[in-house]
Amino acid sequence: MATDRDFTAPVSSIGWRWLGRVAGGLVYLFLILPVLVIFLSAFSPGAYPQFPPESVSLRWFQAFFDNRAWLKALQVSAWLLLVVTPLTTLLGTTAAYALARLQFRGRDVLQAFVLSPLIIPQVVLGIALLYVLTGMGLSGSLTGLAIGHILVALPYAVRTVSVSLASMDRRLETASMSLGATPAYTFRHVTLPLIKPGIVAGAVFAAVTSFGEVSVSLFLTAPGTVTMPVRIFTYIDQTFDPVVNAVSAIFIVLAVLALVLIERTIGLTKAM
Amino acid sequence: MNISLPLSRVSTSGNSLFSWLLLAPGMLFLAAFLVVPGILLIVLSLHDVDGMLMVLPTYSFSHYIEAFTSAGYIRALGTTLWVAALTAVLCVLLAYPAAWLLVSTRSRAWRTVLYVILISPLLTSVVIRTFAWIVLLAQNGLINDVLRRLGLIDAPLALLWNMKAVIVAYVQVMLPFAVLPLATSLGEIPAALPRASQSLGAGARHTFLHVVLPLTIPGMMSGAIIVFALAAGSYVTPLLIGGRLQPLLPIGIYQQALQIANLPLAAALSLTLLVVTAAIAGVMSYVQKRWERRVYGH
Amino acid sequence: MSAIDIRGVAHRFGDLQALAGVDLSIAQGEFFSLLGPSGCGKTTLLNIIAGFLAPSAGTVVVGGRDVTNLPPHRRDIGMVFQSYALFPHLNVFDNVAYGLRVRKAKGEDVRARVAEMLELVRLSELAQRMPHQLSGGQQQRVAIARALAIRPQVLLLDEPLSNLDAKLRKEMQTELRRLLGNVGVTTVMVTHDQEEALGLSDRIGILGAGRLQQVGTPLELYRRPVNRFVGEFVGHANLIQARANGAGTFEASAHFSRAGVPLQLASSHAAGGDVLFLLRPERIRLSALSDYAQQTDAPNTVAGVVRDASYTGAELHVTVTLPGGGELVVEAPEAHFTDVPQAGAPVQLAWNADDLAVLPAESKGA
Repeated sequence: MATDRDFTAPVSSIGWRWLGRVAGGLVYLFLILPVLVIFLSAFSPGAYPQFPPESVSLRWFQAFFDNRAWLKALQVSAWLLLVVTPLTTLLGTTAAYALARLQFRGRDVLQAFVLSPLIIPQVVLGIALLYVLTGMGLSGSLTGLAIGHILVALPYAVRTVSVSLASMDRRLETASMSLGATPAYTFRHVTLPLIKPGIVAGAVFAAVTSFGEVSVSLFLTAPGTVTMPVRIFTYIDQTFDPVVNAVSAIFIVLAVLALVLIERTIGLTKAM
Repeated sequence: MNISLPLSRVSTSGNSLFSWLLLAPGMLFLAAFLVVPGILLIVLSLHDVDGMLMVLPTYSFSHYIEAFTSAGYIRALGTTLWVAALTAVLCVLLAYPAAWLLVSTRSRAWRTVLYVILISPLLTSVVIRTFAWIVLLAQNGLINDVLRRLGLIDAPLALLWNMKAVIVAYVQVMLPFAVLPLATSLGEIPAALPRASQSLGAGARHTFLHVVLPLTIPGMMSGAIIVFALAAGSYVTPLLIGGRLQPLLPIGIYQQALQIANLPLAAALSLTLLVVTAAIAGVMSYVQKRWERRVYGH
Repeated sequence: MSAIDIRGVAHRFGDLQALAGVDLSIAQGEFFSLLGPSGCGKTTLLNIIAGFLAPSAGTVVVGGRDVTNLPPHRRDIGMVFQSYALFPHLNVFDNVAYGLRVRKAKGEDVRARVAEMLELVRLSELAQRMPHQLSGGQQQRVAIARALAIRPQVLLLDEPLSNLDAKLRKEMQTELRRLLGNVGVTTVMVTHDQEEALGLSDRIGILGAGRLQQVGTPLELYRRPVNRFVGEFVGHANLIQARANGAGTFEASAHFSRAGVPLQLASSHAAGGDVLFLLRPERIRLSALSDYAQQTDAPNTVAGVVRDASYTGAELHVTVTLPGGGELVVEAPEAHFTDVPQAGAPVQLAWNADDLAVLPAESKGA
């Protein structure tokens, strides 16, 4: 994105410029409003947030860690994250490399295909997977959930690694192979170190996506395999538990941390 | 959100076996868990069900017929598309000042802040983003609380459980997807163009309407397509904010699949949704590509 | 009344003083070039005239109107940008018509005027094309047509030819001269290419380090530069530091001399004291010297040895090393030679007293 460029506005339009900035600022305020609300609630002593806040309390965080059902959901989400992240990163890296290096007709179609889970309605993905996994006897299992998460997270990993691959100097690979190294050796010793930022960013995306995945997961969970987001969903649906605020606050902090990581590796502008 | 990869057009080394081998795992995974389920879904949608909603080995179009003739489902489809379109329009409208601010901010620190505000929601689970709206809009939620304490209302307003709330939540959840491509488009306008317009006598307003706005059409279309597709397929947000009774097709699909357990009907409905959404997105994309071809030649 | 009056214009960007006290008057219908190396402030000055920058100090008056604080769209200027800045989403016709439509001209008037402009730049058949379908030269002509269509008081050109290849540049120079001669609009051009400026302008203003070093016709700048900067920037220059010897001639500094005998210079312009002479390469006459002993000690002559000779087809550029170590560059028409002088060949150089231009002497380090 060329947003680092100096986008100079004409001298005369100072008035318009300020109008634009105020309008823009309001939109960002609108965007950040829910986050502020959640932090307000997470730290509020009462079940409902007060504005302005009266005092700060950590009781909902405490309640979260005291609640076995929540901890079980955390465990499921954590397990999935640990399994899904490496697998997605692996599949994503290999696919991205192959798509970048191979030349064949229909490569563009394949590229669109790999990215398609991003735009297929997750309702459809959910049902299709539910049906197939039921047939395989995996519906409601952790394996099934893992498959669903990998499917949804894969496009992100492919994209970040592709960005890294595109900015890497290909002549280094050519040089390596001209010195007698096999493509596999070159990949391992030349390419991989160079695309590390993209791989790390891809892993971060995979982790964050898996941890927060709910639209497809709702079709694939069973009472014994409830993830954090799924639990939040059923909880909000049925009752009002302020612990959800605390959980949400944690999620948001994790998201910002993930952002920082992605920015440090391949940079936010290119990741999106 | 970018639906393309930065692939180069030049090949310096040949297609090695190694590269083909690396392509395999990803493709196999997708074949097994995207293609096959897709095909099976189509097949499933053609299966009949009996009175107990058990799947029969016979085939028919009965579910599709039901989908297209039942007033309920037609209304749901129509409402879904309408809501998605409205969301897309609202998102693009609001995205403009946001994208403008992002592009015209000189300070790197502030730009990072704006990016964080834009992108961190995308990394947060959609339940949480939706939940925040519940906290805001509930009867004893924040807005009602503030309004009551300010003395503006006596009884709490019923802000939840209606389509307006759903649309507001949609817009807020999907706005970043509209801002990012629009910001890219804005950023790509050469600085000389608004100046040229000014040198020809056009003030800020004329320059915006006749030069800047038209040149951001690709960005606006990109954003609109993404938001439309996302909104058309969304069910978690409307379910939590609007309630089960909202006439939206994805909610209907969810209910058919997980609550009523009529999978074939759910399959038929979801394929219908997919095809209609894809068709509309395809038309919009075609319009965008044609514009780009006319103006840039590619 | 001059078309443009610039008084005391200065501009700073933070700590950097880009322009310092520029005073300039440009006459109606004149083609004026702002010439200088990159960073000299010429583009800044152009932007101030156009209105994209408000100067830190000074005033800009166009057509009798003080426009210093007016935004660009109220200044009645036309501008051609280095990148042409054609609107990519409009075809050639609509691009040229843009300024007219802003002024709410009627459909027929627009059509007539656009047709007239396209005719002027000889692009009438391309009216329906989109900018991306045009070559660089064609885009530039559309940009010119667009700027002229609104009959501006002043036409501003920002390095208009720098994006074109050499041959096209020559063609466009001729084209520009024809076009603008036809239209007669006051024109200010910014360029770093001195050949371009010399070829197109009625007058040139040389900018160096944010100041106007000299303003004059191309001839004046070339033959009578006021300082070393101008002398060296416009054309090639041989610089010779010299001191009056009280006998009516000057003696050049050591490295132009031969074995203790200083080079004598007789100038029709300088009187006495310390002087820096500027001698243009094409004013030096070069002749072969078969015998070193034949060289004369007359003023304005010197013998030396060819260090390097390059043949450019129409001319010969010869660098001659003098006994004291100094060098003089000579440019001579090809027709004067039967052969290209070899390196090491002895030659005799001579010039007229009139050819020595006088620059202010420098204290040290000539």
